[in-house]
Amino acid sequence: MAPSPLLVARGLCKSYEGSRVVDGLDLHCDAGTVLGLLGPNGAGKTTTLRMLYGFIEPDAGEIRYGAKPFAAHRSACKRMIGVCAQEDTLDHDFSVERNLRVYATYFRPRRADIDKRIAHLLDLFGLTAHAHQLPAQLSGGFKRRLMIARSLVHEPQVLFLDEPTTGLDPAARVEVWQLIARLREQGLAIILTTHYMDEAERLSDQCLILSAGKAVAQGAPRELLGTILGEHVAIVPAAQIEPGALERWALAELGAAPARVLHDWHVPLTAAQLVAFSVQFPDARFAVRDPTLEDLFLQLSAGGPAARPRTP
Amino acid sequence: MNWNPHLGDLFDWRSRAVFARNARVYMRNWRTAFLPPAIEPIVSFLAFGLGLGAFVGSIQYQGSAVGYASYMAPGLLAQTVFATPFFEALYSSYVRMFYQKTWDGILATQVELRHIVWGEITWASARGVGNATVVACVLGGLNLSGVVHLQWQWLPLLPLIGFVAGWSFAAFALLFTAVVPSIDHMNYPVFLVGVPLGLISNTYFPLPVHNPVLAVLVQCNPIYHLSESFRSLLLRGQPDLHLLWLFVSSAVFLLICATVAQRLVRRRVLGE
Repeated sequence: MAPSPLLVARGLCKSYEGSRVVDGLDLHCDAGTVLGLLGPNGAGKTTTLRMLYGFIEPDAGEIRYGAKPFAAHRSACKRMIGVCAQEDTLDHDFSVERNLRVYATYFRPRRADIDKRIAHLLDLFGLTAHAHQLPAQLSGGFKRRLMIARSLVHEPQVLFLDEPTTGLDPAARVEVWQLIARLREQGLAIILTTHYMDEAERLSDQCLILSAGKAVAQGAPRELLGTILGEHVAIVPAAQIEPGALERWALAELGAAPARVLHDWHVPLTAAQLVAFSVQFPDARFAVRDPTLEDLFLQLSAGGPAARPRTP
Repeated sequence: MNWNPHLGDLFDWRSRAVFARNARVYMRNWRTAFLPPAIEPIVSFLAFGLGLGAFVGSIQYQGSAVGYASYMAPGLLAQTVFATPFFEALYSSYVRMFYQKTWDGILATQVELRHIVWGEITWASARGVGNATVVACVLGGLNLSGVVHLQWQWLPLLPLIGFVAGWSFAAFALLFTAVVPSIDHMNYPVFLVGVPLGLISNTYFPLPVHNPVLAVLVQCNPIYHLSESFRSLLLRGQPDLHLLWLFVSSAVFLLICATVAQRLVRRRVLGE
C-alpha cells in the first residue's frame, strides 16, 4: 500500500494586484521523502511556501496536513510543521539552548520531556559545546544548524527547508546535507527549496519544477532530466561554430535556443538529436555529458520547452 | 476592513507566550532596560518639581493652593504611564519586527500575528506599570519626608490604573510602528504626536481651558484624563469623573487602535 502523504495541496492559486503568481498548483509529500521545490526567481516558490506555512491565504485551492484541512484545523496543522526559513530569524537575545527552549513555548501541547528533547537536538546537530553561546558568536554553518534544530524542537512531521545551505562553505553544506538525509531516514516529509541544483539532485526523491506559477514537471530528478532534456548535454565552445548557426539549428530542431554559459553553449539532446547535431556541425569539437538539474534550470530561465506545462 | 480586534486573544496562551518571551529578554538585560527609563522621571521631578517649583511657588487646584511639586507629582506619574508603553511599542516592537526578525520566527509556529500584536501591547503596558511603580515608590518617599503632600494611600493603585490606560497607548503606538518606513521616521510620531499630546494634558502645568479649541483637544486627550484622575486621587483623596472618562476613552481607544494596528501590521509583515 502506498504511504499516505503528510502534505497535500490541490489547485493552489494566489494573485497579487491582478497578476497570478501561483496558478493551480498541486503538490504532495510523503513521510520519509524529500520534495525539491525548484524554479527560477519569480516562479512562485516563495508565495507557495508562504501559503503552506499559513502566512497568507490562498485565493483558491486546499492544503491538507495528514488528513486535516489546513483552513479548518489551522493550529493543529501548524503543530505538525516545522519551518526553517531562508533568513536568519533566530532570537539573538538568547543563547543557543535558550533559543530552543523559548521556541518550544510557541507550541501546544507542550512536551513533558522538553529538557531531553533539547539535549537530543543539541547533540544531533553538534551544538552541545555551543549551548551557552549567543547566535551571533556562531559561524554561518552552526547558525544554520541551530535554525534547523529549532524548527524541529516540537517534533514536527513535515519540515520546510528554504534554501538551507545558501551562504555556507562547501564543508558546511555537506554537513547540512547529511543532517537532511538523517531527518529523511527518521520519517520526516521534507520540502526543500534551493538554487543549488546539485543539492536538489542529491537530496530530492521528487522534484517539482515551477515556472510562472505553474508546475511544469514533477518526478524523480533523473526521470525528469531524461524526459525533459534528453540523455545528453553537448558542451560546445562558442568559437567552434559560426555565430548564429547553432541558435538557428536549435530553434528549428529542438524548439528553443540553447543556454550560453560563459564561452560555451550547453545543448540538451536526445541520442537522435546528438546524431543530427554531429551531422549538421561535422567540424565542431565538443564534449558530451549527462544532463543535470542545472541544465533544466537554465532552460527554464530561458523559457525553453521545459518552461511549458507538461501533461502527464 | 475587518473590525474584529480578536479581544478573546488578549489572554490566549499564544499572546502570553509572546509576552513571556519579551519578559525573559527584559529580565536578562534588566539593569540597562529598567534603571535608566525608571530614573528619568525622578530626574525630571528633581529638576522641575523641586528646582522650578521653588520659583513657581503654589498653583490653584480645585480652589485650593497646592505646592508646585505636589501638583506636578501626579502628572509625572501619568506621563510615565503614557510614555513607557508608547516608546516600547514604537521603538522596541519595531526593532523586533524589522531588524531582529523575531516576529517572522514566531509566525512559523502556532502563534498568529494577532497574538503577537496583543502580546506586544500587553508587554508594553506592563513595562509602564513597572516604571510607574518605581516613580510611585519615590513619590511615597518624598511624601514621607514632607517634600510633597499626597494622599499616599492611593499610590499603590495608580500603576494598576495605568496598566489599563497603557494598553491603549501601546496600541496607539503600534499604528505608527506598522507604517513608518524606517526607524529614523519615528521622529514624526514622537515629536508630532507624542510630545504634543503630553503638552496638552495638564501633566506639568494647568492649561488655559477658556480657549475653546484647546478645551476640546484636551477633553479628547486620554493623557489629560489620566493626569487629572491621578491628581484627584492624590491631592483630594477621592476619584472623580476623569477616572470614568479615562476607562471609557482607553477602552474605545484600545478597540480602535488594536483593530487598525492588526490590519496595518498584517499588511506590513505578511504583505496582505
